[in-house]
Amino acid sequence: MKPALAAVAIATLWPLNFVAGQPSYEGPHPDTSVVEDPTLRRMQYHERVQEVIQWRAHIVERGDAEKMDLASVSANLRLGRKLDACSARVIEMMQTPGSGPFWMLPTVCVAFTGRDLLSDEARQSIRDAWRTTYQLRGDTENHFAMYYTMLYLMSEMYPNEPGDQWYTGKSSEENLAESREYLIDWMDIMTTIGQGEFNPTHYIGEYAIPMLYLVSWAEDPEMRIRGKMVLDWLYAGLAANTIDGVLRGPNARTDDSSVVERWNSLSSFFSWINFGNCPPQRGFSWGNYYAIVADNYEVPEVIYRIATDRDGPFLQRDLKRSRHQWRYSNVGKAPIYKTSYTTEDYAVGSYQGGMADPIQTHVWDVTWKTPDPRGLHPTMFSIHPYSASKGMQAYFNVRPDTMVKAVAAEGKPSYDVADKLVGCSPYEQVFQDLDTIVALYDIPKGTRFEQVNGFFSKDLANLVEDDSGWIFARGGDTYLAYLPLADYRWEPHMAYKRLPSTGNGYRYERVESGSQVLISPHRRNGTILQAAAASEFANFQAFQETILALPIEVELEPTPRVSMQTLRGANIVCAFGEDPVRNGKRVDYTKWKLFEGPYLNAEKGSRKLTITHGRLERILDFNTLTLSDRVMKN
Amino acid sequence: MRLNALPKPLLAALSVLATALSVAEQSPPAETYVCAAVNKNYVIGSKITTTSGIHRLEPSGEWKHIGINDPSVFAVSFDPRDRNVFYTAALNGALRTLDGGANWRIMTSWDITEPKDVCVDPHSPDTVYLAHPGGIAVSTDRGTTWTARERGLPDRGKYTQTIEVDRVRPGRVLAGCESGIYLTQNHGRSWRRVLETKETVNDLQQSPHDPATWAAVTQSAGAWISRNAGKSWTYLPQTPTDGALYNIAFDGSNPDRLAIGSYTFGVLTSEDGGATWTHRNNGLPEPQRVWRVGIHPDTGRLFASVYQNAVFVSDDFGRSWTSIGLEGSAVNCFLFLPAATPNTP
Repeated sequence: MKPALAAVAIATLWPLNFVAGQPSYEGPHPDTSVVEDPTLRRMQYHERVQEVIQWRAHIVERGDAEKMDLASVSANLRLGRKLDACSARVIEMMQTPGSGPFWMLPTVCVAFTGRDLLSDEARQSIRDAWRTTYQLRGDTENHFAMYYTMLYLMSEMYPNEPGDQWYTGKSSEENLAESREYLIDWMDIMTTIGQGEFNPTHYIGEYAIPMLYLVSWAEDPEMRIRGKMVLDWLYAGLAANTIDGVLRGPNARTDDSSVVERWNSLSSFFSWINFGNCPPQRGFSWGNYYAIVADNYEVPEVIYRIATDRDGPFLQRDLKRSRHQWRYSNVGKAPIYKTSYTTEDYAVGSYQGGMADPIQTHVWDVTWKTPDPRGLHPTMFSIHPYSASKGMQAYFNVRPDTMVKAVAAEGKPSYDVADKLVGCSPYEQVFQDLDTIVALYDIPKGTRFEQVNGFFSKDLANLVEDDSGWIFARGGDTYLAYLPLADYRWEPHMAYKRLPSTGNGYRYERVESGSQVLISPHRRNGTILQAAAASEFANFQAFQETILALPIEVELEPTPRVSMQTLRGANIVCAFGEDPVRNGKRVDYTKWKLFEGPYLNAEKGSRKLTITHGRLERILDFNTLTLSDRVMKN
Repeated sequence: MRLNALPKPLLAALSVLATALSVAEQSPPAETYVCAAVNKNYVIGSKITTTSGIHRLEPSGEWKHIGINDPSVFAVSFDPRDRNVFYTAALNGALRTLDGGANWRIMTSWDITEPKDVCVDPHSPDTVYLAHPGGIAVSTDRGTTWTARERGLPDRGKYTQTIEVDRVRPGRVLAGCESGIYLTQNHGRSWRRVLETKETVNDLQQSPHDPATWAAVTQSAGAWISRNAGKSWTYLPQTPTDGALYNIAFDGSNPDRLAIGSYTFGVLTSEDGGATWTHRNNGLPEPQRVWRVGIHPDTGRLFASVYQNAVFVSDDFGRSWTSIGLEGSAVNCFLFLPAATPNTP
C-alpha cells in the first residue's frame, strides 16, 4: 500500500475522541507497570504516535487555531487529509518564511511529509523559500544541530543544483558536505568528551527531532544509522535520569517553569512517547514534529527497561561538557562531572558547580516521586543567582552592554532577577555523595546578587525549622533535611506566567505559585541536603533525630568549608576552591568516565556506549557505526 | 532664527542639501555604507519583518538596502579593484558578493562562526583577513579557502574582534583580540602582542592623515594611540575605563578630530588629536546608547548610531544632531567608500 493510502486508512479508523482532545494529557496518569509483551508495547507506541498526529491535524476543526500551521499541515499530510488545503496553506506560509533553524525544521517536516502529496506549486514554494530567504545558523549547539540536519536533508532532496539555487550560495553537494561534516564532528565530540547541552528539559527535542529526520529521510545509510544511534544515546540518558518519565537532576538547559514543575517539559513528551510512563505536555509542544515520523524509530527494549523496570537504587556518573567559551576563560569546553543517585522514591543529582552554560543551567537537586506529577513542584535545591555581562561574553560573541537585557527578552526572563531559580554560577561548588549534597558558595563582594536562593515546594509536608538550623520536610515518600549555612528569610515563589505576545518579544507576569524561596543574603554560604526514603525510618521524628546526630563542622570564613559524616556513613570534607575529600581520599575527577553505572558505561574518548539492563545489552559503537544487541547468559 | 530651531525634518533636508551643494563643486564625496540591524528583539527563528544588513545612503537622503536581509552583518569590506566585490562578516560566517550584492555566497564553513570583522588587503586584494571568535583566518583566494594564521596568538585569548590592514605597508596587519593588540608584519604568518589588555580590544583604526598613527578602543582600558605604526601604544588620558568604548573614528577632513562611540558614554569627541575629550550627546535621544560612530572623510560629518533608535548626524562635530533615518537600527559598521571613478567600476 502506498504511504498516502495507508495514512488515509489510519485516519478513517481513528477514534474521534482523540480529535477533540488530548486524552494523554487530560486523562489519568498512565499505568507505569512494565509492558512485557513487545507486540503490545509496539502497538501502544503507535497509538501514542497517532494521538499526536490526530490531535495536531484537527487543530482548526477543534477551534484551537484559525489556520493550519506547519505542524498541522504536516499532520494532515501524514494522514492524507485536506491535501488541497495543505498545499494552499503551504504556499501562503512560504510567502513569509522564518529566519533560522526553528523555521527550517518545520519546513523540512512539511517538505518531506508532503513530497508525494503536496501540489507542484506548493512544493516549489518551499523550494523557492530555501533559495531566496537567507537562513541564520544561530549560535548554540541545538541551533547548529537543527540547521545542519535540515540543510543536509534539503540538499539531498534537491541534488545537483548550483549555488544560485540556495540561500547559502553553495551547491547542493557543497551544502551536503558541509552539513555532514558538521554533524559527524558534533557526534564525535559528544561520544568522546560528552554532550554539551546535556539532559535538557526542553532542548532534547532540538536534538531528537533532527536525528529522527535523519533516520527517516536521509538517503545516505551512514547518516540514517548515525541518527538512530544518537537517538538511542539520547534516550538512554533520558531513561537513566527519570523516575516515571520525569527528568531528574542537573541539566545544561532548562527554564523557569520546568525547573520546579519538573514534569512540565518536552522531555516528558519523549518519556511518554517512548516509555509510556508519564503524561505528555499540553499540546505536545515540538513533539508534534517528532510524531510525524515517529513510526520510524522504536526504542530498544534495554532502554525501555532502564526507564521502567529497575531493581533498586543506582549511582550513575557521567562526563559532560560546558558550552564552548570563546573568551575570558582558560578552557573552551570545560568538563562537567555529573552524578545521579536514583532510588524508587527519589533522585539526587548534581554536577560539580561552576559554569556549564551562561543561561538556563540547573546544577543540583533532589526530586521525589509523585503519583501524578502534573502541577506539582517535587523538588528542592539552591542556587547562586549569578548574572554578569562578562559571564555572557565568555559564551556569546556580543558587546558587553545589551546581552543581559536581550536574554531576558528572548524568553529567559529571570536571568537578571535576584530571586531566580535557574542558572549556574562560578561561585558555586557542589559535591554529592549518594543522597547527600554539599553546595558551597563563595561570592565575591560586589557581585550583582550576593545571596543564595533555596527552593521549597508548595507540595512539601511537615516543614519544620529546627532550632539546630536544619529544615526538615517530607516530599512524597521522601524525607528531606536542608541545612542553610547562613541566615535566611522566606519569600513567596513568583512563577513566570507567559502572556500572549504583542509582537514585541516574550511577555510574562509573575504570579505566586504557592511555593517558597529561601533567601540567604550572605556571600559566604552553603547548603547541605540529605534525602532518605521514609520507609527507612520508623517515623519522621526518627529521621530528624538521625540527621541531628550526624557530626558536622562548618566554617564560612575565610572560605566555606564543611566536614561531615553523611547519612550513609561517608566522611566528606568540602572546601570551596579545593577538590572534595571522601573517606580521606581526594576525589579525582580526571578519572571520570564518559558513563559509569549499572546501566550506562563508556570510556572517555571511546565513541562507544554500552547500555545494559539485566541480561540485555546494546552497544552503540560510533567507531564502526555498528549497533549491536545481545542477551547475556545467566 | 537659529538653525537648530528649525523643524528637524527641514533641518535634515537642508543639511543634506548643503552637503550636496558643497561637494558638488569638488570630486564626488565618498559613499556612506552601514551594516545595520534594523530589528528590535530579534531572536533566532523570528520572522524578519524589517530590512537589515548593508545600506547605502543615497544622495537623496534615502537609505538603499543592498544584498541580503541579514540582521547579523557586523562588518563589510570592499575589493579596491572592483566595488561590486565585497565581503561581510556575519553570524553565518564570511560572505562574498561578486556582483554588487545581487548574489552571495557564504565563503566559510561550519568551523568559523560569527566573525566580527573582515578586511580586504589593499595591497593584494585577493587576500582577505577575518577576525572571528576562534581567532584569525586568512584567505588568499578571495575567500574561497581559509587558513588559520594564529602563530603568536595565545591558545586562549585569541578571540578577535577587529582586524585592520596597514594601507601603506604590505604584510602589516593589526588585530584587536580579547587579550590585547597583535601585530603581524608578514601577512599573518606570525603575530606578536604590542599592547596587553585584560578585556577585548573593540576597534582599531589607522589615521587617514598619518599612516603611522593608529587608534584603538577597548572594553575596559579606555582608548589608546600609537604613533609608530602600532609598535607601541599610549593610553589617551581622559578616555573612560569604567565602561566599554565600542569604536573610534578619525576625521579624514581634519587631522585633529577623532570620535568614540560608546553604549555607556554616548559620543566622545576630541579636536586636539586625542589629548582631550568632550561628551557630545546634546541632541541625541536619551538614553544616549551609541552603538557606533563614523566620520565622513570628505565632509567631516559625524554619524552616530543610537542603539535601536536611528542614525544621527552632526555637521558641527557633535554639538547638534539630526536624525537621518534607519529607525530602530543598531549600526555595527560605518564605511565610507571613495566615489567611483572611471577606473573603479
